[in-house]
Amino acid sequence: MNSNPALAPEVAVGRLLPARAMALALLAAALLGTLTLALAVGAMPMPFADILGDEAALQRRVFTGIRAPRVALAGLVGAVLAVSGAALQGLFRNPLADPGLIGVSSGAALGAVAMIVLGRGLLGGPLAVYALPLAAMLGAVLVTLFLWAFASRYGQFSIVTILLVGIALNALAAVGVGAFQYLSDDGQLRTLTFWMLGSFGRASWPTVWPAALAMAAAAAPLFFVARALDLLQLGESEAFHLGVAVKRLKRRVILCAAAAVGAGVALSGIIGFVGLVVPHLVRLLLGASHRWVLPGAALLGGALTVGADLLARTIAVPAEIPVSLVTSALGAPFFLWLIARVRP
Amino acid sequence: MRPRLDAATVLLAACPLMPAAACETAMDSSRIAVAGGSLTEIIYFLGAEERIVAVDTTSDFPDPKRFPSIGYVRALSAEGLLSMHPTLVLGEDDMGPPEAVAAMRRLGVPVVRVPEVHSALGILAKVRCVATVLNLAAEADALIEAKLSPMVKHLARLRTARSGRPKAAFLLGLRDGAPIGAGRGTSAHGLLSMALAENVLDSFKGWKPVSTEAMAVAAPDYIVVVERGVDAAGGAQRILAHPALRTTPAGRLPERRLIVMNGMATLGFGPRTLQSALRLASLLRAVAPAAATVAVGKEDDRE
Repeated sequence: MNSNPALAPEVAVGRLLPARAMALALLAAALLGTLTLALAVGAMPMPFADILGDEAALQRRVFTGIRAPRVALAGLVGAVLAVSGAALQGLFRNPLADPGLIGVSSGAALGAVAMIVLGRGLLGGPLAVYALPLAAMLGAVLVTLFLWAFASRYGQFSIVTILLVGIALNALAAVGVGAFQYLSDDGQLRTLTFWMLGSFGRASWPTVWPAALAMAAAAAPLFFVARALDLLQLGESEAFHLGVAVKRLKRRVILCAAAAVGAGVALSGIIGFVGLVVPHLVRLLLGASHRWVLPGAALLGGALTVGADLLARTIAVPAEIPVSLVTSALGAPFFLWLIARVRP
Repeated sequence: MRPRLDAATVLLAACPLMPAAACETAMDSSRIAVAGGSLTEIIYFLGAEERIVAVDTTSDFPDPKRFPSIGYVRALSAEGLLSMHPTLVLGEDDMGPPEAVAAMRRLGVPVVRVPEVHSALGILAKVRCVATVLNLAAEADALIEAKLSPMVKHLARLRTARSGRPKAAFLLGLRDGAPIGAGRGTSAHGLLSMALAENVLDSFKGWKPVSTEAMAVAAPDYIVVVERGVDAAGGAQRILAHPALRTTPAGRLPERRLIVMNGMATLGFGPRTLQSALRLASLLRAVAPAAATVAVGKEDDRE
């Protein structure tokens, strides 16, 4: 087709699209690849025949009961963190924005630590597997709701107010976490420390299913504000005059990101750097348009987190290392490279 | 009303997080994954170490490198642990995370959580419990009688013979510039009481940073620190140079009053803890308040 000179201009104009579509397809393939690898590899050697074979065999049960939910959770949490990070960076027009900024992570930590220290009775009961995630999610959403209410009441919900209120709320939540840490006994303190380190090892289907539904439902609206986010890059008043309901956009992005990330980290604990770094990587590959960045971030976030978890649980077999160690060890140097690249 | 009660009972009984009836003979204890240093020590004590297939990172005695590591006792990996194909998972009271333990139980792998009581009798009970689970109860009774009971009796004799309890503080080391002290309900609190000492930090529960002022009020005559804490601080001198400790009676006579002990041997509450308690009891003597700074040299020659 390219050889036909008459068609050349249209091809040149349309060329960006196939290139991006190719890159997006590549990301999808990368996700599929890491998912397959993560399902196939683990501490327990698992020939393909065993996975499909005898249902009573330990291998089969480890696969369906431990490895599969773990990979699913890692993929979902990575995707949700990256999409939320991308949407928030777009909303704040700030490359340093990540879900932690609007209080989700510290809110989840506060909810979790409150449950660990105060909810002793609940944690022993039959609904124990749900108590901690629910408390963490509640903490994440409550802190963000407070941020939203406070910033709209006293600052017309401007970006600067949201940022400042976010910083203050993060500090307050840290005080709460510190206070509970002081009140906790030895065992609670260690439970809390490991929760804060983040791990996908706690995944089981009874908790992953509801969390997956919550994450999907909360993150879905983010994909529909891509165009509005693109217009917002021109400036807030410009976007308003171009027909973007700016206030509603802010509310939607912040609350959806908080709910989605809250549902995810409620199970996994805090996973560092994915929400911050992945959107930048995707912009390198796909350009700045949110119509491409958001789905790209979902794919790459999922792939990277599944890959990081795969490393975390196979490097020290049969033990494992904290997954945040891997994501931060990969993320921080990359971030430095990004900075060096922009300013030669 | 009645059927509903029954349903609740069934639910509770089926709950994977409830401690299962511990200390019952396991169906098959031929391949044991051990989560807890004192349990590994006890299995060696019982001469059953060839049944171990994997241990956690706190199992550094007697042979830290012999078995594959399944990670820290509170942060076990379910798949990693199961990949060793254990027929039994034997865990310390604080083994976790609960989700991993629940996953192993769900997959039908027997998990036994051994109860822990921080006293000399608690150690004997722990040894008996592990022995029962491994179906070695008869052998264990003979071993306990020969090796552990004499130490327990010695401690009991000291308890009746001695008048006055030495005042001691147990520290893990320094964290963020503050000494981390053992309050009530800690393993170290139990150890001090086994060693016939008074824990001067019993005004709080758990392991907490202790302020300089609180340490001055507590005024320990002895300070016991775990090895790792001393290493992390960069030597015993660094710990003693800390303002919170320098001003205590113990800090004024450091060469006699700072005692460094191995953490797992001391606080694991396996057989070695009995030895540690005896050693500590022989190092700690009650110090008469007025004589605290003068007459220590003479006192130490007794017994």
